[in-house]
Amino acid sequence: MTVRVSLSEAPPAGRLAAFLAWLGNPRVYMALAALSLLLVVPIVIDSPFIVHVFVTICVFAGLSTAWNIVGGYAGQLSLGHMVFYGIGAYTTALLIQHYELMPWLGMWVGAALSVVLSVCIGYPCFRLRGPFFALATIAFLEVVRLLAIHFNGFTGGSAGLIVPLKLGWAWMIFQDKINYLYIAFGLLLATLAVSYAIRTSRLGYYLIAVREREDAASAAGISNTAAKLKAAMISAALTSLFGSFHAMYLTFLEPETMFSLSGSVSVAMFALIGGLGTVAGPLLGTVLVVPIAELARGWLGASANGLHGFVYGVVLVLITLTLPGGLVGTFGPRVTALIDRLPGRRAAPDREEPALRKIDGKPGEPVLETRDLVMKFGGLTATDHVSITLRRGEILGVIGPNGAGKTTVFNQMSGFLRPTSGTVVVYDAAGRPVMPTRPDEFARLGVGRTFQIVQPFGKLTVIENIMIGAFMRHASVEDARAAALRVARLVGLLHVKDVEARNLPIGDLKRLEVARTLATEPSILLLDEVMAGQNQADTQKMVELIRAIRDTGVTVIAIEHNMQAIMSLSDRIVVIDSGKVIAQGDPREVVRNRRVIEAYLGEDFVDAQGL
Amino acid sequence: MDVLVQLILNGIMLGAMYAIISVGLTLIFGIVRVVNFAHGEFLMVGMYAVYLLSHHFGLHPYVSAVPMVLMLFAIGALVQRFIIQPLLGADEHIQIFATVGLSTALINLALLIFGADLYSVQEPGLRKPLSIGGYTVLYAQVVIFVSALVLVAGLHLFMQKTPLGRAIRATAQNRNAAQLMGVRVDRIYVIAFGLGAACVGLASALISPLFPVTPTIGTYFVLTAFVVVVLGGMRSMYGAFLGAMIIGIVDSLSGYYIAPDLKEVVYFAIFILILIFKPTGLFGFGRGTE
Repeated sequence: MTVRVSLSEAPPAGRLAAFLAWLGNPRVYMALAALSLLLVVPIVIDSPFIVHVFVTICVFAGLSTAWNIVGGYAGQLSLGHMVFYGIGAYTTALLIQHYELMPWLGMWVGAALSVVLSVCIGYPCFRLRGPFFALATIAFLEVVRLLAIHFNGFTGGSAGLIVPLKLGWAWMIFQDKINYLYIAFGLLLATLAVSYAIRTSRLGYYLIAVREREDAASAAGISNTAAKLKAAMISAALTSLFGSFHAMYLTFLEPETMFSLSGSVSVAMFALIGGLGTVAGPLLGTVLVVPIAELARGWLGASANGLHGFVYGVVLVLITLTLPGGLVGTFGPRVTALIDRLPGRRAAPDREEPALRKIDGKPGEPVLETRDLVMKFGGLTATDHVSITLRRGEILGVIGPNGAGKTTVFNQMSGFLRPTSGTVVVYDAAGRPVMPTRPDEFARLGVGRTFQIVQPFGKLTVIENIMIGAFMRHASVEDARAAALRVARLVGLLHVKDVEARNLPIGDLKRLEVARTLATEPSILLLDEVMAGQNQADTQKMVELIRAIRDTGVTVIAIEHNMQAIMSLSDRIVVIDSGKVIAQGDPREVVRNRRVIEAYLGEDFVDAQGL
Repeated sequence: MDVLVQLILNGIMLGAMYAIISVGLTLIFGIVRVVNFAHGEFLMVGMYAVYLLSHHFGLHPYVSAVPMVLMLFAIGALVQRFIIQPLLGADEHIQIFATVGLSTALINLALLIFGADLYSVQEPGLRKPLSIGGYTVLYAQVVIFVSALVLVAGLHLFMQKTPLGRAIRATAQNRNAAQLMGVRVDRIYVIAFGLGAACVGLASALISPLFPVTPTIGTYFVLTAFVVVVLGGMRSMYGAFLGAMIIGIVDSLSGYYIAPDLKEVVYFAIFILILIFKPTGLFGFGRGTE
């Protein structure tokens, strides 16, 4: 069994070896070689204009990479991102002007302000749907721009602000423009490193999960708001740092260019062209598009005003129509396959966790109780004083006609609906009663649920889907992957582990739904019709799987319409009709209960049978 | 007191102008469920066309209204057919990028052709003040106000009384059910997008005597129109009309009582607050978070 060594934990000699091993990976050395061109080309050509083009590329590639963290990974389409750039620029410039604070320090003040603003924008606005979130970010940008114009005594207003010209490294202003390139390139490298680190960490997976399906993400224990806010804060800070640097490069700030809507759109556009949500996409998009603009300006002068913007717009429309995945999304896999053929070291093979967490506790003690749950939707009472006690180690079947309110009860037991009245009590590992409110809190307390209508993260592979669940108990990607592999073997999905979830047939999707939940290592498992739509063989496999899960100490509560399966599986049955519990107890007794037969087959049938 | 009444009157006049643009935006969003970020640029295209017709052929802007409505209907229909329709099944952000791209391309095309100069339609007669009981409005503003009323009334009759209007309403409420009832949904979308753009065609002819045209004039108007649409609950023309009146009055009052250059700050702040606290709009006509 090989375990990947992380750089920080290894001893010095081992650290060097690990670093060399990392460099030996063809993907790594090819990426570094390509990046170094951004520095080497302008140094070799040594023309002020080329240096200017490359500084601009580095700045916009950095801005776009930073935008992509919130716009691509988290899927929150900000079209007002230049507000952070402008704040970075103005803060740094004003601190030099008033306090003679070096830009190297002032840029961090700007970044801190941007982080605060990103929380102020993100916290209330993240609940908005795509276009309305985009509009809200535009509104924030406009407000800040108008305020910057209005308070002209402070910012210089529309007339602009000239950065005090103090030359040298301390003040980040140079006569020889090549120095700017070193800083811009350094900032870009750092931003790419942050972006890469996020993409390959738990946060990166969480952001994608939140982007794809918020409900399934919170069922996997993810706090959607916290994940999105983290992305927004990191993105705002990085954007602001580039603003600070660019202010020192441009040395003249005016609200129209610092808080520009078209600039914000461009930054988002570069990411789309290169590939939203990919690490290399924003850089690639910028490298392809920015030179067009700068060359048009350099060669054609003012007569070409608007030409580059026109080209940008047309390219953007064409990309949406032909390559919505962007260049990296479309051609990336083929290119990486080619690169992987180069000589070099490879990543260590996967390891598999030997076993899942064992659950202790006395069988038979209550693990979850609903007390007098009432749920009203307008005039309809969907749940009417439902009290159910779930006991450790049992399999409790929930049956009832369609529309009886079974799923509504599940939604309250897992935090997706807040009951109109009544409580849900979960007993934590120490046996204390807890009353969680949000779905992710339920999940972290060990209440795992599946969805009746499957909720896969379609663009992630099967194993990545399961990892989303596994991250709840394993912070590192390696550990989560090992645990996910274990679960995949248990539920029988190992043979399709690298298939994208959207390509799976329904039987596998139902198993994936169970697998993702199981990977959170729940002590209580809520299964909502996991056998629906499955053939006989699959149903049998599912029955065996549920038994195997129970044997690890997990308590199971299952809604099911497949009578034969649920009767043979359950220790106890609860029957719900019209939102009320009408019977509960031993499966054999419940099926003979007069009210149960009435609920399913009608009163007439009961009378005719003379029951 | 007199000042206040005059300000409110100014606000209503301004609101009527926003109403025409916003009703168009609402039609497109309410029926096709796409936020048209290029809506303002449609207005800009119309205004340049009105200017050209007036400058080269001496056509009165109000006469241009007819060709403008037809031209913008055609532009809207083409955009729907060739850009939006292929993307209806795509991710939402892709649709946003498509109309944002269209907007960027049109603004810069105008910049390339006309430069950043201001062009205005010379119809001084329409800018003459008209006195109503001691308060003044401009002739052109009265025309805009009446047109806004006629537009909303006309669209109301069209939607309620004609078979096509009924098909459009059915599509807006439930696309799949409408399709099952034999409504050709794709064609309805093309018509709806065309109608929404045609409203802007009307607006371009009516606004031209009052505002000079620049490449970015559309951005100026459309951001306000978005505020109006959100205020009005996104789907309802009546909501958009009322929202436009409110924003017009807010614009007029805050320009006078707070500061002329902060009036946009005031209504953007309202916009953000509405989005956050009452996404169904002020009058509960629709939903923003759905």
